[in-house]
Amino acid sequence: MKTIEVPALARVEGEGGLYIGLENGKAVEIRLDIYEPPRFFEGFLHGRFLQEVPDITARICGICPVAYQMSSVFALENALGIKITSQVRALRRLMYCGEYIESHALHIYMLQAPDLLGKESAFEVAAIAPDVVKNALRLKKIGNAILSAIGGRSVHPVNVCVGGFYQWPDAGPLKKLLPDLEWGLATAIDCVKWAMTLPYPDLEIDYEFVALHHPDEYGVIEGEVWSSKGRKLSIKDYEKGYIEEHVKHSNALHSHTVDGSTYLVGPLARLNLNHEQLLPAAQKALKDSKLKLPLKNPYKSLIARAIELVQFYEEAIQLVKSYKSEGPAHVELKLKAGEGAGATEAPRGLLYHRYQIDDHGLVTFAKITPPTAQNLPRIEADLFALAPKIIKMPEAEATLTAEHLVRSYDPCISCATHFLKLKVEEKEK
Amino acid sequence: MCHTLLEVEGGRKGKVRIAVIGIGQSLRGDDAAGLEAVRQWQEKYPETAKRPEVRVEASELPGLALIDLLDDMDAAVIVDAVQSSAKPGTIHRISPDELSAFTPDAQSAHGWGVAETLQLGRELYPTLKNLPIRLIGIEVEQVSMGAGLSQYVAQAMPELCRTIEDEVQTFLEK
Repeated sequence: MKTIEVPALARVEGEGGLYIGLENGKAVEIRLDIYEPPRFFEGFLHGRFLQEVPDITARICGICPVAYQMSSVFALENALGIKITSQVRALRRLMYCGEYIESHALHIYMLQAPDLLGKESAFEVAAIAPDVVKNALRLKKIGNAILSAIGGRSVHPVNVCVGGFYQWPDAGPLKKLLPDLEWGLATAIDCVKWAMTLPYPDLEIDYEFVALHHPDEYGVIEGEVWSSKGRKLSIKDYEKGYIEEHVKHSNALHSHTVDGSTYLVGPLARLNLNHEQLLPAAQKALKDSKLKLPLKNPYKSLIARAIELVQFYEEAIQLVKSYKSEGPAHVELKLKAGEGAGATEAPRGLLYHRYQIDDHGLVTFAKITPPTAQNLPRIEADLFALAPKIIKMPEAEATLTAEHLVRSYDPCISCATHFLKLKVEEKEK
Repeated sequence: MCHTLLEVEGGRKGKVRIAVIGIGQSLRGDDAAGLEAVRQWQEKYPETAKRPEVRVEASELPGLALIDLLDDMDAAVIVDAVQSSAKPGTIHRISPDELSAFTPDAQSAHGWGVAETLQLGRELYPTLKNLPIRLIGIEVEQVSMGAGLSQYVAQAMPELCRTIEDEVQTFLEK
């Protein structure tokens, strides 16, 4: 039996192992072993007052806390039957722009680009292309600055509440960001051009893409859950189309469709399903790239992220320009028992929450389905698709190609439940 | 908390600007030591902490944003939990050049550690390369889930506060 082992897969968030069993030149078993301990967040929420939920769920992730805040507040607002103001909605989108910008800038340049450039880490990229890494850090910093201006701090921002925001952020610091945002938009457009020049491995997968779709805007908050196979569900009916279940080798749940098939959430799904809703500069960046949609190569999710970087800089500029700190920052709550679901598009894909609350606004049930849990079975299936190629490669290259595939998903194992160990085992012929 | 961006920073005029940065996770036992030390130092030495040239930051997981926290500063004191073979509660004074001895678990790039972030920042930005940084490390005993410091780390807090004050005063006198 031949074994290849990599002690740890870097540049992903969380702890897990990757096992590939090969027999007679074919992959017989592939598992993403998620051994990061389960984190029991849904349990922590029981008995908590609903207004504590956005700040507790934000702690699930240091990269996408806003996503956890947003899905939870929309779910709880649905449970109470309240409608937020358009001004609150706009500020929530702006906050989400900040999160997308910082998360995508990190993944594009610091996490995935080293693989495409044949480098071990962002340090090596910095050595050959310091300006690229400087741009990455500045792009990311501007995203953080948006979050700080709205939520007081960039990691685990506060201020989001059920009903709106605790208070309007001062307009001054946000408006001051405009020159940086304009720089960011121009740099993001260049990023798409640069992304098109990178050497992506060949791999085309016939995915079922699933993302939120909104007719009037690039789907991030609210809308319907659309699938490329034609399934269209309201957010409250999400669980009628998508099911989570426990699998033996993983402390994260795995999702599949009601038909038992795997599906893909994240930047590729969003771009393929929602490209018509992109703003003009992002549309132009997509058109100029001459990309053919649907984009089916998982490695090319970097390009989708780059186009989204343009989208969210462009949208941030619009939202900052129109921002006014006037009127009530939140709707007053009238507590009642109820149930509500909410879904938003986290940078890594659809994030679904459902809560039941009692008359006092205390949580009696919580369900959270993170994007990585939905993508885990799909990553395993992609590795199966990749296996015939890997087998022909030298060991080191095989390992790197598999690792790169996993990294291109930007998996957040911590969210789903921390280090990937790759073990390729070749059984004797 | 809005800083000028590295690319647009202006010239450095006036008094020396010092960042005092506590780093750690409040819900991971002794990992919170850096945050707690900076908080206690602020209480014990308010006349220093409130000086206009001193900027205090408590940061749970700054990652690459640590570079941003150092932006436009003339000096920095960073307090963080460290794990070596020393006795829990031991206080280490480390210069950035000595950081590699304390390279933390760098497997997850989402959580860029202090050592590699400073290394990357110093490679990219000349201002950061020349920035005097003192890193104060406190040896941890346990970093399991939950709030609260272990006995030896809690007992080291007064000395840790004095060490922070010493380092800040050294920079202020320059």
